[in-house]
Amino acid sequence: MSPLGPLLLAALLFSIGVYGVIARRNAVLVLMSVELMLNAVNINLVAFQNLLFPAELAVSGQMFALFIIGVAAAEVGVGLAIVFNLFRNRATVNVDDVDLMRW
Amino acid sequence: MGTVLEYAWLVPVLPLVSAALIAVFGKRLPWHGSEIGIAAVGLAMLLSIAIAWQTFVTSPVEPLELAYDWAPLGGGTVLELGMLVDGLTAMMFLLVTVVSLMVHIYSREYMHGEVRFTYFYAMLSFFTFSMLLLVIANNLVQAILGWELVGLSSYLLIGFYWEDKSNQDAGNKAFLTTKFGDVGLIVGAIVLAAGMLELGSTTPFNLLELNQAAADGQLGQGTIVLGILLIFLGCMSKSGQFPLHVWLPDAMAGPTPVSALIHAATMVTAGVFLLARLFPVLAQSQTAMAVVAIVGVITLFFGGLLALVQDDIKKVLAYSTVSQLGYMIAALGVGGYTASIFHLFTHGFFKALLFLGSGSLIHAVHSNNMSDMGGLRKAMPHTFWTFVIGSLALAGFPLTAGFFSKDEILIAGDIWAGAGFATGNLVYWVGLAAAFVTSFYMARAVFLIFFGETRSHHAPHESGRWMLAPLMVLAVLSIVSGYIFSPFWTAEQNFETWTATPIIDEEATFPFADHGAEAAGSAVQGEGVLAAAPTLAAEGGELTILHGAPTWHPDLLLIVLAVFGLAVVLAWRSYGHGLPERDPTLHMGGLSTALVNKYWLDDIGYRYIVVPVRDRWSAWATWTSNVLIDGAVGGVGRATKALAVATYDVDQRVIDGGVNGVAFSAAWWSERLRRLQSGDVQRYAGALVAGVVVLVLAVALAR
Repeated sequence: MSPLGPLLLAALLFSIGVYGVIARRNAVLVLMSVELMLNAVNINLVAFQNLLFPAELAVSGQMFALFIIGVAAAEVGVGLAIVFNLFRNRATVNVDDVDLMRW
Repeated sequence: MGTVLEYAWLVPVLPLVSAALIAVFGKRLPWHGSEIGIAAVGLAMLLSIAIAWQTFVTSPVEPLELAYDWAPLGGGTVLELGMLVDGLTAMMFLLVTVVSLMVHIYSREYMHGEVRFTYFYAMLSFFTFSMLLLVIANNLVQAILGWELVGLSSYLLIGFYWEDKSNQDAGNKAFLTTKFGDVGLIVGAIVLAAGMLELGSTTPFNLLELNQAAADGQLGQGTIVLGILLIFLGCMSKSGQFPLHVWLPDAMAGPTPVSALIHAATMVTAGVFLLARLFPVLAQSQTAMAVVAIVGVITLFFGGLLALVQDDIKKVLAYSTVSQLGYMIAALGVGGYTASIFHLFTHGFFKALLFLGSGSLIHAVHSNNMSDMGGLRKAMPHTFWTFVIGSLALAGFPLTAGFFSKDEILIAGDIWAGAGFATGNLVYWVGLAAAFVTSFYMARAVFLIFFGETRSHHAPHESGRWMLAPLMVLAVLSIVSGYIFSPFWTAEQNFETWTATPIIDEEATFPFADHGAEAAGSAVQGEGVLAAAPTLAAEGGELTILHGAPTWHPDLLLIVLAVFGLAVVLAWRSYGHGLPERDPTLHMGGLSTALVNKYWLDDIGYRYIVVPVRDRWSAWATWTSNVLIDGAVGGVGRATKALAVATYDVDQRVIDGGVNGVAFSAAWWSERLRRLQSGDVQRYAGALVAGVVVLVLAVALAR
């Protein structure tokens, strides 16, 4: 099996995620873009596990991917809570309006 | 344990307190301060008698030294302030306080009605304090302190009648001449202290340690000769040794009681005292002893000759003082330690007596000159008898005090000669010749004053009780003080055992002893008159110390008596019947000319010291001071100021500028850099990605 497909997919997903994090104004969409980047990494982990150690029964890459999914779930929980509070206080979810921590 | 010696410090302190009290309260008291002076010095005298009793009679005591550290000198050494009480101290205490008390009492009448009566008494007390401070000192610095205070008191009292320019000049002359010697004294003290420092002493000026180190032969010969001769220069100027005696006759410008106290009995003996105190050091060097002996011999002879031509009675006595001080110094130079201080002791009494007697005469006839006196025997019987006793003692007439002490010096010279040292013969023969001169000029004075017709324009009258009482006390002392060191004492108990320095005894080493080895032992303890003790004598190649009471020496007694008789007969032929038309002492050709002009010493001093100093050196010194030193100091000041200005500029511009520049640049940059923190998280993320891309590209390209 050629590894090219999963790696290209992962690169595409990661690039879309980077674009979303940098360019989107909506905080919810920024969070979603972060999820895209995390999942691109997950794909990479699984793909390289199978590419580098094909004959073995080791599943280190898959284990990392599972942990990242768990951490991502927690991260989304915290992130959405922040967005909720932000909306409650400022009636907006536009990240350009939330630049309080500046000089 | 509580012996009276431990209270010896009170002896100098009492006159000091008295001087202060007189200065503050004197004028308000009924006797204008004199009662304080008399009481304080009287108490000091009683204490001195107790100390002398303890030291002399009860038992010969070890020297008592009490001292506390006064000032650190650095390097672990200290300067002490303390007291040293031994036989010599006790003897000087006795002499100074007795004479001082007599002068205090005498001055009550003599100075009565003077303008500065209270000031006079304060100065008398202050002088007594200074002298006692010198006597009690346990170290050289303290001694020099007392020595200089004594010089100061002397200066102030010589110029007591300061309205007269000549009296001011006399004071200046005394002060400057003695100051010349004091330089030597101070340098000498430092030389000896340096020698002590080399030996690891922590109290380099201590007298006992110094004497001990010298007697043990630890001090180098160079140190000893240089140190003791420089100190001897100080002694020469203070004790009127030739040619530095020139101030002493001029010092007679002061009131007569001052002459008695300071310039005859006590202060001028300071030099002899200090040299006696350092005798163990002096005894280490034959060269130094020879120098001391020769200076003493010159002084005792030529000083005595000068007295022959004087008309002023005080000048006669002044020159005789110079001569007698020469005897004392010469005695030290021939090892006659006891002889020297014994003569110092007796001379103090009879010279004070003679001066106070002359004061009584001057009081009566209102003139210092013997040519204005004459025939005073009947008018002033008490003054006459006391003056004659003093003159006999001075001339060394048998069984007076001066006889015992002066012959002791001659015997010391004889023993020294027997030990093979030529200076001994010199002292013996010149001493005898000077004894003739002494007898002659004292006989001349007595005949001119008391015999013949009266030449006074005033009706002379006897002095009062206050003046006669001291004269009589001193007259008694002029006879009996000689008996404290006479053949009547035992070998174990006599003046020598009381006052001997224990340091210079059997264990002392004398590096020059070999020189006297050939003649060793020959003439020691001749049959003679009064054997001397303790004088150094050579025995079997080693110098030893002779101990014991004197013995009778009939041969010397006969010689002395013959010399005395001859002198008196000669004087009687010339002066027994009033003032001669042709005074024989003034018609001895060139000798008289030399004597009348005082060997031209004053002229030489004026022409070659006073005039150059005043006209040339002082101008040069002023120029040096004003132009060179002031210029240098001013230049240093200006250079410092310029340097300070430059430093200020550097500080302001470079250092402050640098510091401020750092601060300003930080502010300038922070103003621009802070804009990076925009608070826009997405921009941060973009920068982060850009950074990662750059790093990845860099790593990839580096491959």
